[in-house]
Formats: sequence, C-alpha cells, structure tokens
Amino acid sequence: MSLRRVLALPGWAEHVRLLAGATGLDRPLTTVQATLDASHLPAAEELTVVARPVAGTDWQIDALLRRCADAGATGVLLPGTEPLTASRLLAERLGVPLLGTGAPPLDLLVEARLWLAAPELDRAGLLLATHRALGDRLRPPEEVVAVLRRLLRSPVAVLDDRGAPLAGDVGGRVRLDEPVPQRAELDDGVLLAHPVLLQRPAMWLAVELRGTEAARADVVPPALAVAAGALQRWLLANRLELERDARSRTALLGDLLRLDTEPGADLRRRVADAGWRLGGWHVGLHIGVPAAVDTVARTQEVVRALRAGDVDAVVVEHGDGWTGWVTFDHEPTAERVRALASRLQAVHRALRLGTHMGVGRPHPRPEGLAATVAEASDAARLAATRPETGHFLHVDQLGMAQLLLEWTRTDTFEPAARALVAPLWPAPGDLVRTLAAYLDAESSIAETATVLGVHRNTVAARVARIEQLLGVDLSRPDERLALHLASRAVILSDP
Amino acid sequence: MWSSMRITAADVPALERGAALLGSGGGGDTATAAVLLRRQLERAPEPVVRSLGELPPTARVVPVGVVGATAAFTEKLPSGDEFASAVAAVERWTGERADAVLSIEIGGLNGLMPLVVAGELGLSYVDADLSGRGLPRLDQLAVAATGRGVAPAALAEQSGQVMLLAAGSDAMVERGARAFVAGSGGWAAFALAPIPAGELAACSIPGTTSAALALGRRVLAIGESPSRPALEAALGGSVLARGRVLEVARHVGPGRQGNPGFGRGCVTLADHPGGELLRLEMENEYLLALRDGAPVASTPDVLSVLDHRTGVPVSCDAIRVGLEVDVVRLAAAPFWTDPRRLPVLQPRAYGIDCDPVGVA
Repeated sequence: MSLRRVLALPGWAEHVRLLAGATGLDRPLTTVQATLDASHLPAAEELTVVARPVAGTDWQIDALLRRCADAGATGVLLPGTEPLTASRLLAERLGVPLLGTGAPPLDLLVEARLWLAAPELDRAGLLLATHRALGDRLRPPEEVVAVLRRLLRSPVAVLDDRGAPLAGDVGGRVRLDEPVPQRAELDDGVLLAHPVLLQRPAMWLAVELRGTEAARADVVPPALAVAAGALQRWLLANRLELERDARSRTALLGDLLRLDTEPGADLRRRVADAGWRLGGWHVGLHIGVPAAVDTVARTQEVVRALRAGDVDAVVVEHGDGWTGWVTFDHEPTAERVRALASRLQAVHRALRLGTHMGVGRPHPRPEGLAATVAEASDAARLAATRPETGHFLHVDQLGMAQLLLEWTRTDTFEPAARALVAPLWPAPGDLVRTLAAYLDAESSIAETATVLGVHRNTVAARVARIEQLLGVDLSRPDERLALHLASRAVILSDP
Repeated sequence: MWSSMRITAADVPALERGAALLGSGGGGDTATAAVLLRRQLERAPEPVVRSLGELPPTARVVPVGVVGATAAFTEKLPSGDEFASAVAAVERWTGERADAVLSIEIGGLNGLMPLVVAGELGLSYVDADLSGRGLPRLDQLAVAATGRGVAPAALAEQSGQVMLLAAGSDAMVERGARAFVAGSGGWAAFALAPIPAGELAACSIPGTTSAALALGRRVLAIGESPSRPALEAALGGSVLARGRVLEVARHVGPGRQGNPGFGRGCVTLADHPGGELLRLEMENEYLLALRDGAPVASTPDVLSVLDHRTGVPVSCDAIRVGLEVDVVRLAAAPFWTDPRRLPVLQPRAYGIDCDPVGVA
C-alpha cells in the first residue's frame, strides 16, 4: 500500500490536496491514525490525520513532520488550514507528504481504513474457501492442486522432498534446504512455497502468481498453509497404511528366516497372500541405509528402482534397510547369477540414498531363503566399509571363507586383534608368527618347528612364553579361536 | 574581587551591543537609550558602577527600568522627570532613601536606561539586574521568581501621572502596570521598593552589566561578516543557523487571563550550506528554535538574530524576509536553569507546549 494509492480513493481524490512532499507519495502505508494530541508520536508507515482544528502557523506542524520522518511514518493530513511556507518547505525537505483537506478528516480516515482492510478481507475469504474445499475429507495431491488452481487462478504444484513435481507444475525453484514458507521473486511475479512437514519436509506446495495475481502475494500464504495441512493429513493417513503393511511383511519375513522345519499350512498361506514363493532357488539381497533415512517412506522408491532395473524381487523393510530376494524356478547358471548381480549393482547406483548393498549366493527351498538372506546381510555390512567396491558386495565374488576373513579386516576387529596380541611384540623371538604357525599346525610342535625352520625346543619354549605373556591356556578352544583370528588379522594387515 | 568601574561614553557602543544581544530579540530598541546615555555621560559625572559585594549590606538599591511598549519610547522621549518621580514615589511609600539603582532587565534598552537614571539622580549603579536577559512580563522578574514579590512598585509617565501599586500579587502588578501604560503614553518609568544590598544577591543576577559590556566588546572586535567559529568564540555561544530569512509570519497569540495576547510569529530561514530549515517561534523575544522540525534551543537560553554583515541584533518586530542573518544561542544564566525558577521562563510559560531544550 502507498499513500499515492490512497489519494486515488474517491473521497480523497475529491477533497484532499497535496500541499508538499510529493517525493514521499510512494512511502509504504499500513495504518491511518487520527490524533487530537499535538505531541502525537507517529508509528512507522502511519498516515497521521490531525483531527482537531490547527492553526497553519502552529510550530507543532513542523515538529509532527519531523517526528513522522524520524519514525518512518507515511505523512500528515491537516484539516482546514493553510500551513506556512516554512512547513511546506520542511515537508519537501524531509520527503514527508503534507496533505490538506476541507472535508471532515474522520470521514476520510474511515474511507482509507476500509480500503486498507480490503486485503485482510480477501485473505480471510480465500482462507475460508480453501478450508471449505479441502477440510472435509482426505484428498490426494492431485485434488489439492486442482482445488488451489481454481481458487488462486494460478499454476499450483505439489513437489516431493527433492523438488520433483508429484502433481501440477510451476516455474521457479523452491529452496529445499529451508523448511519454512518461502517467497521468491520471478521475472513477472512471485513463487510462493509452503513445506508439508512430517518429521522433515516430506513435500512442498508451490504456487506461481504472475501478472495481476502477483498483487495477492501477501494474501495467499495462509491459504497455502491450510492446503499444506490437508496434504499433511493425507500423508499421515497414507503413511499409516504403509506402516501397517510394512510391519506385517517384516513379521512374515522374520517367521521365514527362523524356519527350521517345513513351513506349516498357516505360514504357507500367509506367504501366498503376500505373493511370495517359497519353492525354487533364491538369491538374497540386502540394502542398508544410514539411520536418518525413513525406510518405510522410501520402500516404494526402492521397488520402483528394482522394477526399472529389470529385477523382479520381493522387498521387505528389515533391519537397517530392506531385505529382498529373487526367486528362480530352477537352479540358476553362474551366468544368470552374474547378470542379476550386475543389474542389482546398477540399481544400487541409481538409488543414491547413501546405501550399501550385499547379494547372497543361490540357495534352494525355504531354508535356502534364510541362508542366502543371511549371506546378503553379511555382505551388505561389509559393503558399508568398502567404498572401493562402491559399497556393493556379491558373496560369489568372495567365497565364504574369504567373506569370513574379510570380517577380521574391519575397523572394529583389527584394533581389538592388535590389542589382544600386543604383549607379544616386545618379547624376543617372532612370537606372533610362532603363535599363528602353531595354531595353523593344530598345536603340533614338530610341524611348527618345520614350518618356521627352528628347533622343536625353541618352539616349545616360545609357546610356553606366549601362554605366560598372554595369560592364556592354548588348550582351551575359545582362546585358541580368538588368538588364531587375531594373529591372522595382524599378520595379514602387515605381512 | 571588589571592583568598581566607570562607564564612559566610549563604552556605550559595546554596552549597547551586549544589551541588545541579551534582549533575545526583545527588550526594546537600544539606539535611543544609547543616545540618551551618551549625552548623560558627556554632561555629568559618570556614575560609579559597583559590584554587589562592594555595597554595605544595608545600602538601599532601587530597581528601575522602562515598562510598556518600548517602541513608543523612541517616539515619545522621556521628559526627564519620570524616573525621579517613580523613585521618589517608592521612597516616600517605604520611607527609605535610595542609595543606588540597578536595572530590572539587562536585555535591551533597560540595559542602558538605569545608568542614565543613576547619573540623573546622582546615585550609584549596581552591576546586576533582575532578568539576566530580555523578559516580557513583570511577573517574570527575579524578585517574582524567588517569591520576594514585585510590589510595592511605582510607575510614572511623561505627563506627570504617578501610580503606586502598594500591594498585590505579581500577576496583579503586571496587569495593573500594563493597564496604566495602555492608558497613558504607551510606556512608563518603573521603580520597585528599595532592596537592601544584603538581600539582593538572592533575588538578582549578578555582574550582568559588566558581562554585557564584555560581550559587546568581543563582538565588536571581530568586525563585520565574521566566520562562524569567530562569531561563536566571541559570543561564548553557538550559531544555530546562518542564511536568508525565507518567511516571517505574525499572528495574535493566545491571551492570558482575559487580556489579549502578545503578537506571536515565526521566522524561517535556510541554513547555509546544508539547507536545513531553522524556524524561530517568537513573541516579544525569540523563544524556540526548531531545526528541520526538531527543537534545538529554547528559552530560558538567549536566542538572538544578528544581521549577518553588521552583526547588529535584529529584534522580533524588525525581522523581515530577505535579511541575511545569523541565529545564535547564548546559555541562560544559572539562575534560570535552576529547577525552582525554570518554570517561570520555560517555553510553556509562553504557551508553547514544548520542554525546554538543553536544560538538564
């Protein structure tokens, strides 16, 4: 709003004269305030209407003009008086419009106030209409877009959390990293956006106001907030169904993985209802994601990606991400398994969720399902620490033994292994290598002496020293196993 | 420092300039008074000017001055007996003889006339006054502001009428005096009852004649069209604006107690070089200065307008559009900024609804 616009109102155009200060006509105007008090302190963006008769010679006119300038007020209207040249010069100098009128100043004030309130009324009307149109039942994004497009007479869109349109379309970009109502200037208008929040912005509602509609940029945001609320309700209801579905499938998978006998009729029935197959050969896969990723909300995305990658897999929210498998009618050839693995690797690259993926070997029948899924989970865990493989591991590339040994190279195991054999380092004789060789030789002193090329008595003495330094009894299986893995890991890491 | 001095004819220009400056745009035309004083000093022994402390505490000091329309004073010159009559009236009424006189008001013609009176009556002159500047009303004199009271007081006009106001409130004295001068020649000689010198310190502003003389000397010494810093140094005050008068508006001000008001008006000029608008609100004196609408100086400080070239103070009734002037401010006497006395001279005492500027 500006004073220039108010001066165009019928009553003002007829009765109000601009006495001085034309340069300030475009100062913003939000309130019109009447005062009887000569020492009135104007507020910012206020047009002060002096409602008592005032002599044109009164110095208080000058003082009021100055207070207006200091407060960022819009201007001064004086009733029925001719101010001095001094006051006019001051108004010019300060750029504060000085208006005069012969009409009752309060009539003018009422007219201006009604006009200033018009955007409020427009805003309230739009808000009510939006609420009426969206408030009664759940509506999917497409319908919300259609309703808003009709009410706002402008392009409207619902965008996903990465800014891609889910329904409708708008020009201009939403700043996705700022989950607050936004306003961006376009060439010929304004883009308004409102986030639809669950824990984080799940969607964005955006409208592009162009041409004359751009003038409603201050009117529309509350209506957008109401519509965003409607979308939020829809998301929550939808989410509830997804969660329920996910939970039942996760439970079914859990039952399958715990299976140690033939599945009962009830379980087979549930599997069939879910559209899964227990017979045939299964290749398991597991996709892990960082803790911050909402797996339930992303399941559809993963399903879409697998389908797009020509992988016909069952996917279940499980553990730190998703577990899935591909079922073959017959034992797949190595060639087919390799082809599947490379398609899965392509899917993994396409997902870009910061995921890691593991793929198991083919195993037959229901119990084979548990085996291949377990392999896939292990491989996925390893893949998480293997950027050099693109966080993707296929058990066939490794062999089971290697897979297990890979474990000993993890960042968590290796320091523990070093700590375990640390007391052996300062002692004379290569005690770590002796320990490894002794355990490799299944505790045979003679075999160990041959492998190391030293005398048997030397080996016996070293073994005794090892037991003494570590405080262990090498005849006990648990301690043997731990030390065997530890010595192997240390030797592998620095040969 | 007990110093007595004499004012000679050579001192008259400086004293006149100092008194006119302290008039704050009022106090009456000093030129006629200066002529009268010079003539008096040339033909008779110069009166002794004494500081307050020099006088014995019992010495009787009579405050004297001219009241009424001071413009009429220049048109209708004194006949010579008015002051003697007025002083004689208060002497007779109080039964006390005057030993000395002092001025009721240093600003304007009353900064000079009491010296003429001292010469004529052969009395000493006390270096102090009851205003410290120019004041429009008798009920604003220091004796009124301190509660001592103005009455009894005597007025004498040229045709021989003498009126003695024996008792009454200060406002009554003001109103009675104004009625008297309105019904006679427009001005009258005015004398208050003698005040013992020992009591004078509490109800007068000391040293104002010597201060006005010194001020006048400094200002005359800097010559014509002084620079701003030179003028400020000579004044011991500040220059609020320097420029051409753009507008002078006069109107009748609010009346007081049923009497018509004094003439009110305002003067506006554009300061050089920034173009800031300085507006002076005036009555008989310049009372309030607004710079671009913001109050920057006010009574009780002395606001004066000087002709830019000659440095001659321009009174409120002589200011006109087109003059090149300096607007200056001199700090008020501490007597008036004292919170007990401030209400007597602050802008609201003149009907200007504004807090005094520059007074803590």
